[in-house]
Amino acid sequence: MEGETPKVLDFRSVSKRYGVTIALHDVSFELHAGEVCGLLGENGAGKSTLVKILSGVVVPDSGSIELRGAPFKPQGIVDARAAGIATAFQELSLIPTLSVAANLFLPRPALNRFGLVSASGIEREAAAILESYGVTDIAPGRLIEELPLGLRQKVEIVRALWHSPSVLVLDEATAALSDREWLFGLADAVRRDGTSVLYISHKLDEIRRLCQRCVILRNGRKVLESDVASMSDEAIFSSMAGRSPAEASKKRPSAVRQRTEPVLQVAGISGPGVDHVSFSLAAGEILGVAGLEGHGQSSLFKALVGLSILTEGTVSAGGKTVSVRSPRIARSLGMVLVPEERKSEGLFHDLTTQANISLPVINRASRFNLVNRSSERRLVEKVTPAVNLPERFLPLNIDALSGGNQQKAVLARALMTGAKCLLLFDPTRGVDVGAKRNIYEMMRSFVGDGGSILFYSTELDELVQLCDRCLVLYRNSIAGELDRDQLSQDRILSLASGYRNGAHQAAVEEA
Amino acid sequence: MTDKDLANPSQATEFGLRSSRRQWIGSEIVPALTVFAATALLVVGMKIANPSFGSFEQITAILVTAIFLVVASFGQGLVILLGGIDLSLGVIIGIGGMMIAEWTHGSNDALLYAIPLTLLCCLGIGLINGLGVAIAGIPPFIVTLASGITFYGVGLGFTAGNSQQPVAPAIQHFMSSRWLGVPYPVYFIVVFVVIAWLFQNRSAEGRKLYAIGSSPGAARILGLPMAPLTIAVYAISGLCAGITGILLAGYSSSATLDMGNALLMPSIAAVVIGGARVTGGSGIYLGTLAGALFLSTLSTVITTLSLSQGFRDLVQGGVIIIALLLQRGRLNLRSR
Amino acid sequence: MAGDTVRNRRKALGNGAVAAAGLLIVMFAVYASHQPTALTLFGVGNLLNNTIVLALAATGLTFAILCGEFDLSGPGVIAIANVVVATTSAGSLGAAGSFGLVLLIGLVVGGLNGILVAYLGLQSLAVTLGSLIACQGVALLILPAPGGQVVDSIAYGITGNIMSVPVPALLLALTIVFWLLLRQSRMGLAIYAVGTDQAAAGLSGLNIRTTKLFAFVLAGLFYAIAGFVFSAEIGSGDPRISDSFLLFMFAAVAIGGTSLFGGRGGVLGTLAGAGILTVLQKMLFALGVADFYTNIFNGIIMILAILFGQASAYLARRPERRGT
Repeated sequence: MEGETPKVLDFRSVSKRYGVTIALHDVSFELHAGEVCGLLGENGAGKSTLVKILSGVVVPDSGSIELRGAPFKPQGIVDARAAGIATAFQELSLIPTLSVAANLFLPRPALNRFGLVSASGIEREAAAILESYGVTDIAPGRLIEELPLGLRQKVEIVRALWHSPSVLVLDEATAALSDREWLFGLADAVRRDGTSVLYISHKLDEIRRLCQRCVILRNGRKVLESDVASMSDEAIFSSMAGRSPAEASKKRPSAVRQRTEPVLQVAGISGPGVDHVSFSLAAGEILGVAGLEGHGQSSLFKALVGLSILTEGTVSAGGKTVSVRSPRIARSLGMVLVPEERKSEGLFHDLTTQANISLPVINRASRFNLVNRSSERRLVEKVTPAVNLPERFLPLNIDALSGGNQQKAVLARALMTGAKCLLLFDPTRGVDVGAKRNIYEMMRSFVGDGGSILFYSTELDELVQLCDRCLVLYRNSIAGELDRDQLSQDRILSLASGYRNGAHQAAVEEA
Repeated sequence: MTDKDLANPSQATEFGLRSSRRQWIGSEIVPALTVFAATALLVVGMKIANPSFGSFEQITAILVTAIFLVVASFGQGLVILLGGIDLSLGVIIGIGGMMIAEWTHGSNDALLYAIPLTLLCCLGIGLINGLGVAIAGIPPFIVTLASGITFYGVGLGFTAGNSQQPVAPAIQHFMSSRWLGVPYPVYFIVVFVVIAWLFQNRSAEGRKLYAIGSSPGAARILGLPMAPLTIAVYAISGLCAGITGILLAGYSSSATLDMGNALLMPSIAAVVIGGARVTGGSGIYLGTLAGALFLSTLSTVITTLSLSQGFRDLVQGGVIIIALLLQRGRLNLRSR
Repeated sequence: MAGDTVRNRRKALGNGAVAAAGLLIVMFAVYASHQPTALTLFGVGNLLNNTIVLALAATGLTFAILCGEFDLSGPGVIAIANVVVATTSAGSLGAAGSFGLVLLIGLVVGGLNGILVAYLGLQSLAVTLGSLIACQGVALLILPAPGGQVVDSIAYGITGNIMSVPVPALLLALTIVFWLLLRQSRMGLAIYAVGTDQAAAGLSGLNIRTTKLFAFVLAGLFYAIAGFVFSAEIGSGDPRISDSFLLFMFAAVAIGGTSLFGGRGGVLGTLAGAGILTVLQKMLFALGVADFYTNIFNGIIMILAILFGQASAYLARRPERRGT
């Protein structure tokens, strides 16, 4: 390899910390011309910081970066692009209220002879560009907010490609794409032109398809760099997670209570993002929900807890038909949601950890409506052992805790409500390994005591390990239901991708 | 499936945690103390410049004039805590004053029902604000601004803008007399401050207000009673404005519809100077109190120095900005 | 596929303005039916005279709101502009000089607001509250009591005609032209982008700080011009700020369909909104509505019109995303 293809990117001993958190520590790797290198790592491993540093958004604390032999010290995105690095961000960097064409040329769309941006002018240019990348189903005059997520992702990718970078960074670029082959074709094409690609993904099949080498990060450090072909899936997983996946645990005995009234029975419900869903949840059961991003899982959970209104179907709790019109009512029925976005929907940033957890029962800890700190503490300390949250964190502001501990606090609060039915939406996202284990234990003992859990996760092995049954969503409705013995990552993935009995269900429509 | 949580710089790993804040909201006491110190400095500075200044009489007189802002800024502070704002405060003060003057008409006979009735009406206006914000979902800025104008019109219609006088002698007496050498209003302030502090920073409902202000999304998902609390807070703000109106009427012996307008901006300023975030969720009552005391003292100092109102406004505006600058590190730690 | 380009592009930018313009026409028709003189040149000129100050001030405010911030300092700048013109135009600086000074003041206040908000990251509501109060103070320091005199050339010039076209109409036309140009410029796109999604704007390579600074400076300049015209209209100086003027400014912006959260709407809607408010005032007066009811009607109709305006801004956002 050496001497044959020139070194394009030299990332040397780069470190970055935020306060006490170490985002990256002494990470080094190289990219050569015309190669695709995968970047893997669990949530919190440092991938997004690395991407931000390469994109010019974040300045590293130490280390050096060289691009094509020259030092790379961009002042911002524009600098980085000019130097030759373009990024398709996971959190799309498109402006919803502007057109596709305007977004494509930001921040400096071409000016006509009056010094103004001509809509028709840039749209013509944009159409040509889109076409050259094989995109024919997006009208350049349409506003980004009118496009479905998959098409937006295409625009994001085309924008990065169009700058003809020396290094193309693709951050989870296929998350919403329905046509991955298009991207793979483009990646192959740019490789031939000598562009290097840094491909961030957690989908091993894509890494194997595209990448020659891969770099694995864990806790901010590079733990492995190797050829993709020579590594097995297990080896890759264990490098990422620091444990072998099988060790996660042997299957526990089922705690499902037989022959009792289902805790939750949902029949034919429809609503925004929910298409004729039916299932039942028994006491002592962990019912999994799987699905590719954007296939209705978020709307289903929101509807169940009353954040959106159902237009059809019935929901029964404990045998009685109920109308869940708000999270307050859901809570009174014993159902509580642990939401997707911890930062904006789960945590109260100005309160201490203790205050965050005690909120549901704060009146119980008060006499004459005045809060009694020690009663509060006692109440909270009843639930913190269940999630293994050390008591010394309680008086601290919740923002001082790591992601894993924050999530534990949110779960503790859910337990505090006394709910018998927990709706957990991707609870281990952005959570470190140790905290994940605590969360699994909490889930197991919760259902062991007779509670039930509806559990959505993006990590398929979690679903396989923990669930008694698993529903798989595809395009807002249930594509299939897998029993314990049928549960496997392959089956989940194929149902989630729309394959049933070996055949793809419906032609995938664009726009 | 992202590392975006790492983008929040205030997180820490299990290996080490940031400066532990022992109290429930420990670091928020710093701005409050700073402002108290600034107030004290102001008084001391004045004393040096003008040795006759700063006698017990004068200090208590300052406290008496501070009462209006102290009461008004509590209500405003609660509303801001929730992430809203009350721009009708000034008008409600005026209406409160007008009502008490109208219904007592210089005698004490009607006091027994005049005071509750006035307070009820002012609370009612606040209630309407709250309904507009919580139920109709209109931005607080618009609701309170428009209701201010509307009720100003109502007030104008009833009184044609004439000043109402005189106010019941009992209230005037309350505002101007002393007991054991200390003016009645000072006792009132002490009691009020204790109640206000207990409610905002020690009660269960207060805790919920902080939660809602800190993260409305999380509060909704948790099932906190957002609408009732919002309505209640605006109602309290109206009530406080009503109390302020009554006190102000007693102090000036008469009432005009405009008399509360001069308190609106300072009420917001007091909250901001005291360290609260304008978008809600933070700031302790002690801070609001400190802000109110500081602004009142500043006002008195400027009058004593015979400086013009223009100068006072300029300084007030400058103080707000300085306070914002000083709190920059603390407030911007968490960008929304 | 190609057919829906233009329609969609115009949607977000024009929808609120179109609705507001429609409302304006309806209201004007109602007003004119009661007051036939409204349709004469004199009547229109008169209406423009009454509207122009609010229109200019609300236009300035629109820039700040479009990029996602609040700006309360408008009435403050107007007050300072007014007293400056009243104290200098007839004497030391003359008409042109006072105009230049007024523009400078607008620039300075807008610039300060912009730096504090964009570069120092302070909350715009609080900052502009501070600058509003400070400006009021400065106005009072310059002219402690109503007085002064606005030189005739300004007072009659601005409120009169140039070649039988009312000057306010010219100002209005200039404002519209300015906006149409700005909207198509890179800075205009940047303002919309930053107001819609600041994070995405940053990742797209836009300079958020300079964009916001630019918006605040523009706002300040427009407030200054509004203050200058205001001086012409009242002929003297009055340092006191009208509390309700701030409401009217925000109402005009909101009625015109500009979202108070930023990123949507525009100046055309604001101008229609200002027109609606002025016609409303005149209509209430012409209908012989007693003073008692005027304010009440003002408040209620304002809320309704604002809801109407915000609804159209909300509707423009409607096209549902497919998928979750």
